Amino acid sequence: MRIKWVPIICLSLCAVLVLSGSLFAQQKTIRVGAVYPLTGNIASTGLDCKRGAELAVDIINGKYDLNLPLAKTEGLPNLGGAKIELVFADTKGDPRNGMSEAERLVSQEKVVAMIGAYQSSVTKTASQATERLKIPYVCSDSSSPTLTERNFKYFFRVSPHDAGFARDQFQFLKDLEKKTGQKVSTVALLYENTEFGSNVGKAAAQYAKEFGYKVVADVSYAANATDVTSEVGALIKAKPDVLMHASYITDAILFTKTFKEMNFAPKGIMTFAGYIEPAYLPAVKADGDYIIVRSTFALDLAKGKPLVAQVNELFKKKYGIDMSENAARSFAAPFVLADAINRAKSTKSEDIVRALLATNIPGDQMIYPWKGIKFDPKSHQNIYARGTLVQILNEQYATVWPFDAAAKEVVWPFPPWKTRK
Amino acid sequence: MKVPVFSQKSFGVVALAAAVAFPLVVGNTFFQHIMILFFMFATMAVAWNIMGGYAGMFSFGQVAFFGIGAYTSSFLLITCHVNPWLGLIAGGLGAAIVGAAIGYPCSNLRGHYFAIATIAFGEIVRTCFNNWKMVGAAEGLSLPMLDEGLLNFMFHSSKLPYYYIILVFLLIALAVCYLVSTSKMGYYFRAIKESHDVAEVLGVNVVWYRLMAVMVSAFLSAMAGTFYAQYVLYIDPDSVLLLPISIQIVLISMLGGAGSVMGPVIGAAILIPISEITRVWLGSKGTGIDMLIYGFLITMISVYQPRGVWGLFAGAGRRAR
Repeated sequence: MRIKWVPIICLSLCAVLVLSGSLFAQQKTIRVGAVYPLTGNIASTGLDCKRGAELAVDIINGKYDLNLPLAKTEGLPNLGGAKIELVFADTKGDPRNGMSEAERLVSQEKVVAMIGAYQSSVTKTASQATERLKIPYVCSDSSSPTLTERNFKYFFRVSPHDAGFARDQFQFLKDLEKKTGQKVSTVALLYENTEFGSNVGKAAAQYAKEFGYKVVADVSYAANATDVTSEVGALIKAKPDVLMHASYITDAILFTKTFKEMNFAPKGIMTFAGYIEPAYLPAVKADGDYIIVRSTFALDLAKGKPLVAQVNELFKKKYGIDMSENAARSFAAPFVLADAINRAKSTKSEDIVRALLATNIPGDQMIYPWKGIKFDPKSHQNIYARGTLVQILNEQYATVWPFDAAAKEVVWPFPPWKTRK
Repeated sequence: MKVPVFSQKSFGVVALAAAVAFPLVVGNTFFQHIMILFFMFATMAVAWNIMGGYAGMFSFGQVAFFGIGAYTSSFLLITCHVNPWLGLIAGGLGAAIVGAAIGYPCSNLRGHYFAIATIAFGEIVRTCFNNWKMVGAAEGLSLPMLDEGLLNFMFHSSKLPYYYIILVFLLIALAVCYLVSTSKMGYYFRAIKESHDVAEVLGVNVVWYRLMAVMVSAFLSAMAGTFYAQYVLYIDPDSVLLLPISIQIVLISMLGGAGSVMGPVIGAAILIPISEITRVWLGSKGTGIDMLIYGFLITMISVYQPRGVWGLFAGAGRRAR
């Protein structure tokens, strides 16, 4: 009796092994490298980006009733439900580490594609390394225009770049004139003098010309300045209709205080970056009101797009905080990449690049107010990427442009400081 | 019976043989990268040692020479298509001239006053490059990808050529340092280090020899700068002109043992792999624990071996004799 059972057990064990073996083969993971500044002086931003990318991968790998690419299925259906696995690496924000980590992730960790690295200078060297190694790189969190001017074969950018943001600001002025008849003719440019600010300054000067606005002041300064009265003095003297300001966080706070002290109130103050950092509003409180900031994402987009609220709910459940702009930006790249790999039905670089070039994700499958995702065949920049403008109203950010996605009506012109409490 | 003597020379020969054989045995590009960084920082630390270790001029502005070297060759390559090898010489000479120009007015500064002046010098150079539109200001310079080959100083398919080039640079720096330390100049440097006034009274032309130390050190640092630019293919003020790099160079030299030829190499051999490997193993969690370990090791070495790790080897050698 006993002996009879032995071969049966053996056979069934074999069957289980074979089956599970084939199951494991089906459930293979696709490794994707993700480089972010996880330690160092902007580690908090890097961690924010990491959270966004992680949540995206959770949604791709799991089953979610969301209108996002690959959300409703587990893993990538065309590759037998293969899961995406992110392999994180720390750059410390140093371009040198961007290069070496990209190389290490490809050669040691066998990643088939890359995302990241937030700082444009790091993305520059990391993508240079992947270009040499012929590995696709999808970036949705670096905004220097130079990245897509290199016409790399393996590099793609989903999010808008700084020149695009500058263009948006002028487009807003035109739209505003059309909508309300409020005319603007002169602008003053104010920007901090590192790569980010000077690029914005350059692009803004160019678009001012293109859109027919006169630049009456062009002021640059060091972001770590402790006194900016002379800069604000120059702005007051120039009497611009609109001020465009590209800043980091500490200088944004300092300028806001100096604007108030020196009673500088043009018709509009339109800004970049620093004014939307989480630390800005707590520092200036109501003095930040009526300032307009560029953004790719705001939670109040949920008004016209229920998807935004659903994603934010998942984010909050996982991390206990609301989704920030940085997390929202990094959230995009994994979807674009997974969608391409799924269509390519392969993890070979050439196939993924071909699929990326054919990417066509409609606007309703995203948490951003864009028409969709489609890459320019040469520069590989998403041609539909655009920014939104948010205005600070009652110490809260409210989307005011594009007008079709607006949650609140824009307050224009900027009320003089004396009439405010 | 002959007692085995652990001298600087035998140590050097063994280390060199190991360094030459390393990439042939270890094919892993990441470890090759760590070795390349180790050689690069060792080259800069040896260059620093000529100034700081021998002539007693504690420089915290060494990164300026490194940056000037990187910028000169890259700028010449991008705008005038000058071969990077010529750019390397130009960068070295440029750094030496700048070093002399700043070294001359500082020639009467001693001890910590000199150190303070060099911090200011490094920061001034960084600020200049950060705002200088012609060299890309804060955006930095992206080097074009040329055909790979020794002539273009650019290699895309393998790290081996970079590895051997920087190894040769390190050997050049060591040879210069050795020659300086055994020549009359080296004795003058030590005299200046011991006492500025006594050296002057004895007839040493203090200003001239101090300038010599700065210029030699600047030239060697600039060579490492050109190498960095050709290796990473992108430079900006934040990656080649930042104060922490200067501090790291001083740290490497001091930990390894300033004032000895091999000391800075030992320092780099310990610090660079530790900082890279802890970052890779522990940095991806974002907890900063890699920095803690790094700091802890530095503290331990400075507490228990204040003369530098080289002191251990030198001490062992002397005892054996």
